[in-house]
Order: sequence, then C-alpha cells, then structure tokens
Amino acid sequence: MSKHEKIEKNIGLMGVMVAVVISFAGIIEIAPLMSQASVVEPVPGLEPRNPLELAGQNVYVSEGCYNCHSQQVRPFVDETLRYGHYSVAGESVYDRPFQWGSKRTGPDLARVGGRYSNEWHEIHLMDPRSVVPTSNMPGYPWLADTPVDIEQTVESMKVLKMLGHPYSDDDIANAAASLTDKTQLDALVAYLQDLGTAMPRSYQ
Amino acid sequence: MSNFWHWTVIIVVIAHIVAYLWLLLATSKKKVDKREDNTTGHVWDDDLMELDNPMPRWWLWLFVLTIVFSLGYLYLYPGLGNIKGSKEWTSVDEFKTAYEANTEARNRSFAGFINKPIEELIKDENAMLIGKRIFSNNCALCHGSDAAGAVGFPNLTDDDWNWGGEFDNILTTITGGRMGVMPAFAPALGEEGTKQVAAYVRSLSGIDHDTSLAAEGEQKFGMFCAACHGPDAKGNDMFGAPNLTDDIWLHGSHEIIETALYEGLNGNMPTQKDILDENRIKLVAAYVYSLSNQ
Ligand code: HEC
Ligand code: HEC
Ligand code: HEC
Repeated sequence: MSKHEKIEKNIGLMGVMVAVVISFAGIIEIAPLMSQASVVEPVPGLEPRNPLELAGQNVYVSEGCYNCHSQQVRPFVDETLRYGHYSVAGESVYDRPFQWGSKRTGPDLARVGGRYSNEWHEIHLMDPRSVVPTSNMPGYPWLADTPVDIEQTVESMKVLKMLGHPYSDDDIANAAASLTDKTQLDALVAYLQDLGTAMPRSYQ
Repeated sequence: MSNFWHWTVIIVVIAHIVAYLWLLLATSKKKVDKREDNTTGHVWDDDLMELDNPMPRWWLWLFVLTIVFSLGYLYLYPGLGNIKGSKEWTSVDEFKTAYEANTEARNRSFAGFINKPIEELIKDENAMLIGKRIFSNNCALCHGSDAAGAVGFPNLTDDDWNWGGEFDNILTTITGGRMGVMPAFAPALGEEGTKQVAAYVRSLSGIDHDTSLAAEGEQKFGMFCAACHGPDAKGNDMFGAPNLTDDIWLHGSHEIIETALYEGLNGNMPTQKDILDENRIKLVAAYVYSLSNQ
C-alpha cells in the first residue's frame, strides 16, 4: 500500500492530519495575540463590572439578547457615524463570555451606555412597541418582578476573580448587600448603561 | 508582538511556503505506473474506477500563482511577525483616511446652508431633509417618528415648551441634554394638603375638581410650587417646569398629578454632543424648530 493510499483509506488518520495542518494557521493568527498588550490589557479607565452590572450581564446572556444584538462597532465610517468610536480589544477584557457577536437583527449595543435614559430602557424592555411602534424585539416584562440571583452573582464574581478580574475580597463580601431589592430589570439597565463608557463615545 | 512570536511567525510562514513549493514539485514529477486502461487501479462498488489523467497545466500554474501572490502580499502588507510591509498599512490608518474624506464631503455639502440664519434654514428643503433623517436615527425612538412624543417624552410639534422654544433654547437642550426633576411633595404637604393642591392644579386646566379643596390649595401652591412652576403656574424654562394651565401633560394625562406629588417625577433628555457633531446638532435643532414654526 502506498503512503497516500494509507491516509486516504484511514479516515481517523486523515482527520488528525487535517487538524494538524489547520492548527498551524490557528497558532500563527491567534496565539501571538494572547501576549499582546493592546489585546489583553484593559483600556485606561475600564473597571470590572460592579455586582449589579454583572448580574445584568448574566441576564443579558441568559435571555439571549446576543441573538439579535452585537457589541462590536467595526472600524468603518458608516458604523462610527451611527454608533460611535469603533470598539477596541482592550474594552472587552472583562467580558466573559465576550459579546462581540455578528448577528444584528437590532442595532449594535457596544456604545449604548448613556445614550438613552434609564426610563427609556425600562419602558423599552417591558414593551418595545410602546416607544418604537415597528420594533420586532420581544418584550421582557417579567424582568421587572424577578429579583436578581444574588448567590449566582457572587459566585460569578469569585470565578471571575480566579480568572484575573481585579475584584477585592471586600468587593465580593459587599456584593450581596448592594443587590438586595434589585430586580433583573434594574440589573440589565445598569449593565446597558455601562456599555462602551470607558472610551470616548464618538469618533470625531 | 514579543521577539519569540515575531520569529516563530516568520519561520512558520516561510517554512509553509517552501513546503508548498516542494510538495508541488515533488508530486508533479512523480511517475505513476501506466496501466493499459489508463486508470489508477482503484475499484469501488464493484465497477467504479478512477482515470489517471495528469492535472491540467493551467491548474498547476494557479498553485504557483498563489505562492507568488503570497510573497507579493507579504512584501507589501504586514504578515511576517512585526514587519510592517512596504506600504506600512494599518486598518486604523485606512479608517482614519476614509473618515476624514467623509467628514470633508459632509462639511462640503453642509457648507451651502449651515451658516444661514434660522428663519432661512427652515425654508431650505435639503437642510430639512437631512435634519429629519438625523431625527429619525437619533431621536425618534424617544420622541416618536412624527416627533409627537409619548408618555414621559415631550411632543416637539406643538407650542408648549418646558425648556424654551426659541432656536437657541432648542440648540442648548439638544447639545447638553436636560434633566427635569420634580421632587415628591406629599410628605411636606400631608394627605389633606396634597388633596387640596391636586384639586387646585386640576382647576388650572379646567378639569373637574372640588372647588372648596382647590381654594385651600391655591395658597399652598404659592408656597410649595410657585418657585418652579411660577406664581401663575405657567411654568419656568430654567427648571424645565411645565406649564400647568394648558391641559397638556408631559406624563400622559392629569391622572399624573397625584403620582407627581407622592412619588416625584423626572425626565432625562440625554446629552447629544458626544454623539452628534455641531453641524448635525444644528440641522436637527432646525428641523425640530421648523415643526412648530412654519
Ligand atoms: C428578536 C430580536 C431581538 C432580541 C432577542 C432582542 N432585541 Fe433588542 N432590539 C431589536 C430590534 C429590532 C431593535 C430596534 C428597534 C427597537 O428599538 O426596539 C432593538 C433595540 C434595542 C435597544 C435600543 C438600541 C438602540 O441604540 O436603538 C436596546 C438597548 C436593546 N434592543 C436591548 C435588548 C436587550 C437587553 C435584549 C435582551 C433582553 C434584547 N434587546 C433582545 C431586536 C431584538
Ligand atoms: C424644584 C422645582 C419644582 C417644584 C418645587 C415643583 N415642581 Fe412640579 N415639576 C417640576 C419639573 C421639572 C417637572 C417636569 C418633570 C419632568 O421633567 O418629567 C414637574 C412636573 C409637574 C407635574 C406634571 C406635569 C406634566 O405635564 O406631566 C405636575 C402636575 C407638577 N409638577 C405639579 C407640581 C406641584 C403641585 C408642585 C407643588 C407641590 C410642584 N409641582 C412643585 C419642577 C418642580
Ligand atoms: C432617551 C430618550 C430621548 C432621546 C434619544 C432624545 N430625547 Fe429629547 N427629550 C427626552 C425627554 C425625556 C425630554 C423631557 C425632559 C424633561 O423631562 O424635562 C426631552 C426633551 C427634549 C426637548 C425639550 C422639549 C421642551 O418641551 O422644551 C427637545 C427640543 C428635545 N428633547 C429634542 C430631542 C432631539 C432633537 C433628539 C435627537 C437628537 C432627542 N431629543 C433625543 C428624551 C429623549
């Protein structure tokens, strides 16, 4: 049997060799980034999310908002005119899991922080069509009467601390107190209002 | 990129290109034993065979071409570790150039009308068209696509202004944003006092009310409310305190009066100066102004 035939007739072996060949590209394109400061260091002024914002991020992920919203302004003129300064890698070092996404049924949310008022977000999340009549975004009315999951949020903070987010022991100890009486809606709005605020909002 | 990765990337990339070239030459030279029927000898499914024709030449040249292309690309563009490439291209520079060109084009198209006085600006069809588009993209989700507002978000098409309806007021409102705060007064007024003031406020707009309560309320209004809403209750642009005599309600209807007194109210018009440049703010302000000044 020729060598070529050996590979051709052994699907397992072929799979392994294909994986090895492809992984070269992966190593060369991805691995160097992991040690590059502009990618792994936070931009100046970026803070890890406070407990309420973190709880909001967990709601954002569990409600699947990322199915319709990206969080990445790409460096194109039209996008920066609409959404603001393009996103840079150092802004999402505290996003685990990251929410860059690529599906835009709704607008990008990377710089939505401070753009609208809390009241507007609350009305819009409860019933989007009451402020944007043609919206096809679903309403999330239950968020207003569901309390935030305090235990889960504190656990999240502990895990993120292990992964290198600079939470102090005090931060974690005081987290539960700052979350009493907060609803998932409060948390989600706090999270949205924090998005993209570490950078100048517009590129001008 | 650290020195380690710099050299690793260079070595792996060059090694790959050399390996592809070698693979191409090695396999194209290799002679396969010719069979009489010109097949490879493989047989699948009883009678399925594979012809053993050489690859077309032009196809082979495509492989060579991709290698030549990659060398040219690596010479011009960044690809080998930290080497910038002869064009010194970066995506940020490309973006900057495109953005500057766009800004220049925008300013050129605004130049014709941006410095016109407001009364002329609102008669300029192009300016109003652009203003309307800016409004649709940035303001409609709160104020409505027809600018007629919603509960808590003011109607911008009427003559009722909480922060002033002159062009300069509107410009200031949009540029810096506004924060309307109405504190809760029920604790200070007490239950009875709250009823009285509420009745008085209803009377101002000619809504059904208890006249004797309202008469009591008038004096309390002067003490607690006139500072912001004015002694005649016609409002005050400085605090964004609405006119309470016109039966136009920022927060929906007169049903809001009790809520206003027990819980307070607030409205936040977010600042736009970080979102829109000066020219676009001026155009959208002119558009808003035009809605009630034809
Ligand atoms: C089915 C797709 C869909 C889902 C799921 C969805 N959205 Fe939306 N969203 C939209 C669309 C479409 C719009 C634009 C119309 C509007 O403003 O309602 C929008 C608008 C928004 C806006 C306003 C953005 C802007 O700049 O105008 C915010 C904020 C937002 N969504 C947040 C959320 C959050 C938080 C969730 C999860 C709880 C969510 N969305 C889930 C489709 C979706
Ligand atoms: C500190 C200034 C201030 C004082 C004092 C004040 N108000 Fe107000 N009031 C406001 C502002 C500002 C608003 C608009 C709130 C907003 O922007 O949402 C408002 C709104 C209202 C509204 C709702 C109007 C609408 O169109 O929806 C009512 C009713 C009202 N005030 C009644 C009163 C009464 C009665 C008193 C006295 C007990 C009073 N206010 C005292 C500032 C004040
Ligand atoms: C997040 C929602 C929101 C967005 C977006 C928004 N506004 Fe407003 N705007 C408000 C609210 C709320 C008020 C009332 C503030 C108050 O309560 O006094 C207001 C007030 C105003 C006023 C003053 C009205 C008066 O009676 O004096 C003007 C003018 C205005 N907005 C124009 C705009 C324009 C133009 C844009 C777009 C560039 C815009 N707004 C975007 C929420 C919004």
